[in-house]
Amino acid sequence: MLTYLARRLFVMIPTLFMISVLVFVIIQLPPGDFLTTYLNELQAQGEAVDPAKIEFLKRQYGLDQPIYIQYAEWAWGLLQGDLGFSFEYNLPVSDVVGDRLWLSLVLNFSTVIFIYIVSFPIGIYSATRQYSWGDYGFTLLGFLGLAMPNFLFALILLYYANVVFGTSIGGLMDPEYINQGWSFAKMMSVVEHLWAPVVVIGTSGTAAMIRRLRANLLDELGKQYVVTAHAKGLSPTKVLFKYPLRMALNPFIADIGNILPQVVSGSVLVSVVMSLPTTGPMLLTALQSQDMYLAGSFLMFLALLTVVGMFVSDVLLAWLDPRIRLQGGVGN
Amino acid sequence: MTDILRIKDLKVEFVLPHMRVKAVENVSFRIGAQETVALVGESGSGKSTISQAIMGLLPKVAQVTKGSIIFADPKKPGTRVDIAMLDRSGSDMRAIRGGRISMIFQEPMSSLSPLHTIGDQICEAVKLHRKVGSAEARELAVEMLTLVGFPQPKRSLKTYPFELSGGLRQRAMIAMALVCRPALLIADEPTTALDVTIQAQILRLIKEVQAELQMSVLLITHDLGVVANMADRMVVIYDGRVVEAGKTDDVFINPGHTYTRSLLAAVPHFDMGPDERLRPLREIKPKTGSLLASAGDGNAQQNTSDVPATLALHPTMASEPVLAVRHLSKSFTTRKGNWIKSEERLIPAVSDVSLTVNRGECVGLVGESGCGKTTLSKLIMRAMSPDEGSILFRGESGQMTELTGLDEDQLNPYRKRIQFVFQDPFGSLNPRMTVQDIITEPMLIHGVGDSNYRQKMVLELMDLVGLDPRFLNRYPHSFSGGQRQRIGIARALSLKPDLLIFDEPTSALDVSVQAQILNLLKDLQRDLNLTYLFISHNLAVVDYVADRIAVMCAGRIVESAPREVLFKNPMHPYTQALLHAVPFADLDHLLDFDKIMDGKASDPSRWPAPFTINQTSEPKMMQVAEDHFVRAERADFTEIAI
Repeated sequence: MLTYLARRLFVMIPTLFMISVLVFVIIQLPPGDFLTTYLNELQAQGEAVDPAKIEFLKRQYGLDQPIYIQYAEWAWGLLQGDLGFSFEYNLPVSDVVGDRLWLSLVLNFSTVIFIYIVSFPIGIYSATRQYSWGDYGFTLLGFLGLAMPNFLFALILLYYANVVFGTSIGGLMDPEYINQGWSFAKMMSVVEHLWAPVVVIGTSGTAAMIRRLRANLLDELGKQYVVTAHAKGLSPTKVLFKYPLRMALNPFIADIGNILPQVVSGSVLVSVVMSLPTTGPMLLTALQSQDMYLAGSFLMFLALLTVVGMFVSDVLLAWLDPRIRLQGGVGN
Repeated sequence: MTDILRIKDLKVEFVLPHMRVKAVENVSFRIGAQETVALVGESGSGKSTISQAIMGLLPKVAQVTKGSIIFADPKKPGTRVDIAMLDRSGSDMRAIRGGRISMIFQEPMSSLSPLHTIGDQICEAVKLHRKVGSAEARELAVEMLTLVGFPQPKRSLKTYPFELSGGLRQRAMIAMALVCRPALLIADEPTTALDVTIQAQILRLIKEVQAELQMSVLLITHDLGVVANMADRMVVIYDGRVVEAGKTDDVFINPGHTYTRSLLAAVPHFDMGPDERLRPLREIKPKTGSLLASAGDGNAQQNTSDVPATLALHPTMASEPVLAVRHLSKSFTTRKGNWIKSEERLIPAVSDVSLTVNRGECVGLVGESGCGKTTLSKLIMRAMSPDEGSILFRGESGQMTELTGLDEDQLNPYRKRIQFVFQDPFGSLNPRMTVQDIITEPMLIHGVGDSNYRQKMVLELMDLVGLDPRFLNRYPHSFSGGQRQRIGIARALSLKPDLLIFDEPTSALDVSVQAQILNLLKDLQRDLNLTYLFISHNLAVVDYVADRIAVMCAGRIVESAPREVLFKNPMHPYTQALLHAVPFADLDHLLDFDKIMDGKASDPSRWPAPFTINQTSEPKMMQVAEDHFVRAERADFTEIAI
């Protein structure tokens, strides 16, 4: 098993390498680069551009180099923790990103926890009381949550918060804390603002998770070992929590790796609508203006999240399920 | 003697939104103290519903609408509880369930939670019903594991169910059910999923613990052999009603009801005369049409003209081999490990198997689960490639051809000569294809005939297996297990194969349907001169259909002989153990529980001297009589291929 873990860790290296190549290639795929976009923009505004200056910039940014050398420099920088240089902001990527990365992490982890906390009891309720009014009600709500686009929900929430309660729930903190150093008051402000985007981003994930937990649990409830547990004389609640629920957990743990990127990409539009200082909107503009090192850093960050999430879920699975641990099933 | 349980006029209905379905009606019987009562019936007869009603484990839609289930606990003399009136998940019911009435189930694997250790699951039962601490609960669990024959009870507490063999899992299940020393044990098909030798051990165990704990047993089974060996009294259930009840001896000797009589007549047993037939509830009369019959004759004639002169001189065509397997071996690698390390091991599934199947003959292959019989059939079908050995098959040319080295394209003409009938009638038919499509598909794949021919063939095949041609547009889900199996047989016959391989074709069917299918197979073989390789774990079934029988154990054939010889004069200790372990539906041939070996029977290294197989001795097949071969070491015999 230790060898298995070591192997899984080792496999992450080529995976991340392949992803970095893909990310770089995809960013380079559209014709032109940041400078041509920049040029077009300037020309569209009627400004003349000095070709010598362009040449100078090109050399300075290394854009005249062949693509693989650009990649090698970027990748080497990444390995040393240097995320590169943002053309658009004229700053190192790490300075541009700043708090956004951490705020994104906080937002996304809160969302994942929200999804798990809300969907678990509801999923269990729906499965154990299949076809009851409660089940139908939650099913309806779940489908609404799945069907409604996140950004629309965000707009509705913003509108009513403003009209009914007269407050603004946009942003992740009160305006006076923006660009301020971290303080306790600022943290509290973030916590106060967090709930709205978490609910907005989490609804569809929660709805999907409820459906899955319900289906999994219903499958498990029909199994023979559940009958055995009842036959022992265990109370129904104890049976539920000790046996079928434990079995129904497997797919969720296996999902940790999937749910993170879903939440992150789902939050981009919402962040734009609610003007959240997260990485989403910045990634969008970076991709539009071909600010490649900035976009690349974001994408690599996402990939890292996914790969680590997958690893964590595999380890958790092995720890929870003796069949995987002792039979070495995962190694095959 | 007082009764532990008295069921009176029990009626259970399934209440569905649009209708009420009667599952059980007017069922009355009683179970005396320390008595074993067998509830006998085929699938769907309602016998499991009765057991669920006693345990208070009926599904939500099921309701006891009439009658009573009176439980008189011998520990509390004088008290009577009507289980039918109790709240199913209330504390009174839960105290009885698992504490005073326990239950063991058919599938020992799925009945135990795979995520919890045996010890955890047994101790849980103890702590529920007795006021004991963890240490004491563990002691009781160890004591019970010892009683049910666990080799290392202390260590076994920490094992997970999937780490145990099927027999040990069922023992763990029994230990869990008995750890609270119940007054009544309900055993729902406790040995159906187990091999015969293991079945015999478990039956003996149930008898032993019953005497030890002085409890009553309600045995639910479809196997009359088990009933004859275990039950004091039996209750026959048909369509939710009791059709006959009485002392086992009386019912067996003088069955009163037609259904009981037909059940008894449908069970294959070893004393059957060569021409004696099973009598199923409904017999199928195969009608051979022109296409199949004439084709069969044509083949035979063609073969006569094509066979070399030496073979043609042979007295009967029947002795011409269709399939000759020589020294076939196949191993699989498995990985086993824990947190620290994992190791790979080579497990031989089939080793040194030689087997010949002659035209028009039925060869039976008997063995317990995991002995390699299915792997062998897959090797013959070339669904897998063997590691060593040769597979000679007589193709259309009439010449024996070596199948082992051939690639997919070269194999194609032979694929259509060997056809397969599967065990699971539900999984082996595509639910999205009509019967017509299912039976036609092999002909389409191999480009046999035009659409007229195929249509005619399909109709003829339906007649042949006794199905109404109007069913052709239906989908498999509208057929019963036996009917599906007949569709599978029709599909296999559509290419007029030279060899049919049956892998446990009746093990998923009820006895009366099994008798029907077995008779059909016999008739088809007689009418169409078919050649069968019949694989089964059921000795009586193989005895009924096969001309020659090969016994397989641990990947090797250990004995092969004509069927009369094998059952009268078994030489190999494993064959003997198998024969000793089969429960007969016959009161004159009860199991001799003293002769049952404890798990030693299928371990080749523990067979006595000339038969032992281990690192130092690897005996070959030797001839003991004409056509009778045994795998044994004997200096004065040289190896003879069979």
